[in-house]
Amino acid sequence: MRIGHKPLAIVVIAIFTAGIGGAYLLGYWNTTSTKVPVTIKSGEFAGMPSPSDIRGSYTWNDVAKAFSLDVNVLLEAFGATDPSVKVNTLETIYGEAKLPEGVEIGTDSVRLFVALYAGLPHAPEESTVLPVAAISVLRREGKGDSGLIDEAAARAFPQISKTGSAVTAPQPTSTTVPQSVAPVEGASTGTGISAGAGLPVGTPTEEHVQTEGTITGKTTFKDLKAWGMSEEQIKSATGGKIGPDIAVIRDWTQANGLTFSEIKTALQELLAER
Amino acid sequence: MTKKNVLGRKGVRPIRRAVQIAFFVLVAVGTTISVLKEKGIDIPFPGEASLHAICPFGGVVSFWQLISAGTLVKKVHESSVVLAGLGVLLAILFGPVICGWVCPFGSFQEWLAGIGRKIFGKRYNNFVPRRVDRVLRYLRYLVLIWVSYMTVMTGKLIFQDYDPYFTLFNFWTGEVAVTGFIALGLVVVLSLFVERPFCKYACPYGAFQGIFNLFRIFGIKRNAATCISCKKCAKACPMNIEVDSAKVVRDHQCISCLECTSEAACPVPATVDLVAVYGRSHDGQAPAGSESGKGA
Repeated sequence: MRIGHKPLAIVVIAIFTAGIGGAYLLGYWNTTSTKVPVTIKSGEFAGMPSPSDIRGSYTWNDVAKAFSLDVNVLLEAFGATDPSVKVNTLETIYGEAKLPEGVEIGTDSVRLFVALYAGLPHAPEESTVLPVAAISVLRREGKGDSGLIDEAAARAFPQISKTGSAVTAPQPTSTTVPQSVAPVEGASTGTGISAGAGLPVGTPTEEHVQTEGTITGKTTFKDLKAWGMSEEQIKSATGGKIGPDIAVIRDWTQANGLTFSEIKTALQELLAER
Repeated sequence: MTKKNVLGRKGVRPIRRAVQIAFFVLVAVGTTISVLKEKGIDIPFPGEASLHAICPFGGVVSFWQLISAGTLVKKVHESSVVLAGLGVLLAILFGPVICGWVCPFGSFQEWLAGIGRKIFGKRYNNFVPRRVDRVLRYLRYLVLIWVSYMTVMTGKLIFQDYDPYFTLFNFWTGEVAVTGFIALGLVVVLSLFVERPFCKYACPYGAFQGIFNLFRIFGIKRNAATCISCKKCAKACPMNIEVDSAKVVRDHQCISCLECTSEAACPVPATVDLVAVYGRSHDGQAPAGSESGKGA
């Protein structure tokens, strides 16, 4: 059986058409995210949606629906007005607002807010901060541990210039929330978000620096080993698996269907026992 | 006989060209409209999808996460898994036919090759010494291993920042890393000297598809009894495969473009053809699956 150009072209197009058409009919042809975060696999929160799986392509409506929240709470916290806008627009908005180096308000801020609001686990990136308005909402309505909300609020910039840039070194140990801060200028968006929702509350980091013995969202397996943990110890906390040295533990746990906060707690306990 | 084949060449080559253009346009329009929609400009189009959603390689690198955790790598959607499945089916049947007929980035490089041919004539696609070239061809397997490993470990599409294909269709979106622009620039320049340089040396999906050349059902078979050893098949091959010295082409780089066949380059009818190489072939010869070809 010889196959020439024409029959091959027909077969290729037919297989694509039939395959895509069949997948469409079976409901498997999805070219966009289903907007349903994965559920937490084990532990106290097993079965609950994981804030860590909120994607930048989710709209405010998607987030509200996935976590059974009032969308107006989210809009108020982040100064958004249009619930159909994707949450990843925050990165553009606050990027233009000239936040200090190493500080970011973006999708991870939404994850952190949802976690604190709903009382679910999430380990934010070190650079992740919340707008002041979000802290206000959390204090008023948040179901999460008040200590964690205080922790998020405490990492504030004591002084902010009128352009929204930090003018003094951050004081991570501060335990007070700034009572008044200047609005971010030049952050009007046209995308349904007002950057005037508040200034960042969080820890600015010029660059990622690991504090020995403290596991964060950027800690790698190499860091753990450098702190004296053996592969066996790490495996005992992760359920028998271990990633390569360069892998960020947080990313690795997500890729392997594990809950970072639980693994982090287990590893942290092992580190404390050393 | 030869004249008939020359006429035949003119008749068949536009078929592949038309299929390539159709897929290129479909991908370009679909992904552009998808990005515009993200930016708030909604243009109704049935094929609208991000490049990640219609890249079969996303389905390939998501496979481990899909079976181990039941989730897909970030930015990859179910459609990628469907396309990866179709790609495997086609590859089992015909080898990397996706590379030769469907992949818009392969088509893009082929079109650039037209410029290179005009500049360098017969020297085009023959600049890299064969010994060096043969080793470099395995680089794409290192890329495949690296990309697969890193994607499994991080759960992220690690290759996006270096992917010239992603850059080609998204250069205007602000999502492309500097490394992506560098990769695309390199491919454009190299395409003026070498045909399909990215496919040959760096494409991880091409590497994956290339494995199927070792056991595909329909393969390129040369009938030694009628072959006149004119080497036109080898000269026509964009991937520099020595078709003229193989009984069945099992080279991992074959892209099933059919440029070497008696329908296109070969002047003798029924001498180089795409035929079933498992079971009885068209000329009544014994199964050819065990015959050794060139390459991998």
